[in-house]
Amino acid sequence: MEELKATKTIDERGEVCPVPDVDTKRALKSMKPGEILEVLIDYPLSKERIPATAEREGHEVLKIEEIGPSEWRILIKVGGKKE
Amino acid sequence: MEIILGIITGVAFGVILQRGRVCFNSAFRDLKLLKDNFLFKAIMFAIALEIVAFLFMAQMGWVHLNPKPFNIIGNIVGPFIFGIGMVLAGGCASGTTYRVGEGNTTSWLALLFYGLTAWATKKGMFSPILKAVSKYTTKVSSISSLYLADDKGKIGPTLATLLHINPWIIGIIVFAIIVAYLFLTKTTKRPDSKLSWQMIGILLIPVAMFGFWTSTLSGRPYPLGITGGWINVFMGYATKVKLNWEGAEVLGIVIGAFITALIYKEFKFRVPRRGVTYLQVTIGGICMGFGAVLGGGCNIGHFFSGIPQLALSSIVAGIFFILGNWFMSSILYGGSK
Repeated sequence: MEELKATKTIDERGEVCPVPDVDTKRALKSMKPGEILEVLIDYPLSKERIPATAEREGHEVLKIEEIGPSEWRILIKVGGKKE
Repeated sequence: MEIILGIITGVAFGVILQRGRVCFNSAFRDLKLLKDNFLFKAIMFAIALEIVAFLFMAQMGWVHLNPKPFNIIGNIVGPFIFGIGMVLAGGCASGTTYRVGEGNTTSWLALLFYGLTAWATKKGMFSPILKAVSKYTTKVSSISSLYLADDKGKIGPTLATLLHINPWIIGIIVFAIIVAYLFLTKTTKRPDSKLSWQMIGILLIPVAMFGFWTSTLSGRPYPLGITGGWINVFMGYATKVKLNWEGAEVLGIVIGAFITALIYKEFKFRVPRRGVTYLQVTIGGICMGFGAVLGGGCNIGHFFSGIPQLALSSIVAGIFFILGNWFMSSILYGGSK
């Protein structure tokens, strides 16, 4: 499988709840459809909540992979803008 | 014996909090900020089931319902400040406690100031404020043998005492209203969650029941709590006060969350990149400690343990936890829609 290239990366490791969610939401809003956002995260609750929120807002979650002890990398493809 | 029972309760509670990611701070905030009701529904389902479970336990004579007295100032101002505090601290009383076991260093600091300030509000520097507010405390005459009345036959007001009806009748009515809301409205999906919201709600019930029963046996006739437990732990550390059931319970939560996080490879020493985050959680912890004691309880003592008893104090406190949370989260995280 071809390695996906991220347009933008945000490192949310160590941030308190819900900063990772809010930053992800803001980053997705600032990007163009088709671009890929990479979120590095170490907070289990947000790892489950970010994909659910992103999908609901019309983006596509490409991948959630474990990259270390309690560290994950989430790749989200920006969907068509709502409104 | 009470220590062992407290620890068993806490460990079981910690495991479920960690696995279910049960954080009241997230539950309240997600409702407004993300329009996400997943966690809120999990908690409300647990509360609906607790209403019936607690009434049943009281009917069997295993425990007595023990609603907290109502205080018009304390139950409004305290929870509002607590609600602000939990947003700054990045977790409520139970959320902060279980994340200590997950290795979140921000939660360690928040907890330190939460416990310390709770103690200061109860017995130290801020206790004159608590004393000034306590003159607004109201109790009413008990109407049922299911309640634990004080030596004057008084209890904290509940929906049952306000309406002068049998606690079972109003209990079943509120249960039905909550269940109707839960199953007739749309629930936000969270496909990556390990547990469904219904499962989180159900799993919490045996812990709440076992906790209420063993706590009562240990001479503390109340269901689960957090704030009093941390005050006990801190006093035990700094003075020579003996560890009690509630202190053992909060330590158990940390142990339970730590073990579960280790097993599921979710334990990590998490350190924020920006140092100012530590300042933010410190202020949050102070607000939580002050607010919880002024308000007569935290999100567990009031929301999780008091609302199922239909205590007026806890229902009012619950509303102001949510309002404080919404107020602060819209300041910090608003404008991200």
